[in-house]
Amino acid sequence: MRAQNSDMGLIVKTMARATIPLIGIFGAYVIAHGHITPGGGFQGGATIAGAGVLFLVAFGLSEAKEKINKNFYSVLEGIGGLVFLAAGMLGLGVAFFYNILWHKGPVFNGEAGTLLSAGYLSMMNLAVGLKVYTGLVSALFAIALFRRWKK
Amino acid sequence: MKTTFGALSLVFILGVLLVVANPNYGLKFGLGEGNWEEYRYTDQYYIEHGVEEVGGTNIVTDIVFDYRGYDTLGEATVLFTSIAGAVALLRKWRGEE
Repeated sequence: MRAQNSDMGLIVKTMARATIPLIGIFGAYVIAHGHITPGGGFQGGATIAGAGVLFLVAFGLSEAKEKINKNFYSVLEGIGGLVFLAAGMLGLGVAFFYNILWHKGPVFNGEAGTLLSAGYLSMMNLAVGLKVYTGLVSALFAIALFRRWKK
Repeated sequence: MKTTFGALSLVFILGVLLVVANPNYGLKFGLGEGNWEEYRYTDQYYIEHGVEEVGGTNIVTDIVFDYRGYDTLGEATVLFTSIAGAVALLRKWRGEE
């Protein structure tokens, strides 16, 4: 069942094919460099969610229905929150949110300013980015599926 | 009547806020040398010790994820709750389809 007029024309679709990977890569860059450059989990997650919105708008609801699995996205959002909490509890021997990886951890304790520094900060950025991306996409997908006024 | 009272109280609150935001009576904007040390010593601490204590050169991320991680945890919880509420409210109703 292909809904009429629920997707854009050829030009918009082609441009979306070109730009969605770029937006995704930029968002991943913002998340991964959250402890070095401006940005972080929330901002990068919202950026990638923008790519998801572009996909939803350009290719229409019927195409998105095949690609977006609601249960999978819900599980990913929960996992993001749990990873954030687990990273906060790594240094529970000293205190909650004690950055043990930076002070005496085996990894993520490189020189400040490099990618593998700052302890659990990059882990938390990844978790929050995953959480924000999946949450925003599933919320927007739920809104897009809500079409009760048609009847 | 109620609308008039509401509008009047809004005007009163706005006036109070304008007095509070006046540099002669309340808040000061664009803090300089001495005032910075007096009013923003916490910021000064974060700027001076953030990189060595947390390791990230982005001080905002240092504060948000390490010094005040609880706040970010609560923020993530708020986001989770809002998404769950939106998805739960936007489901199909029981009678539909």
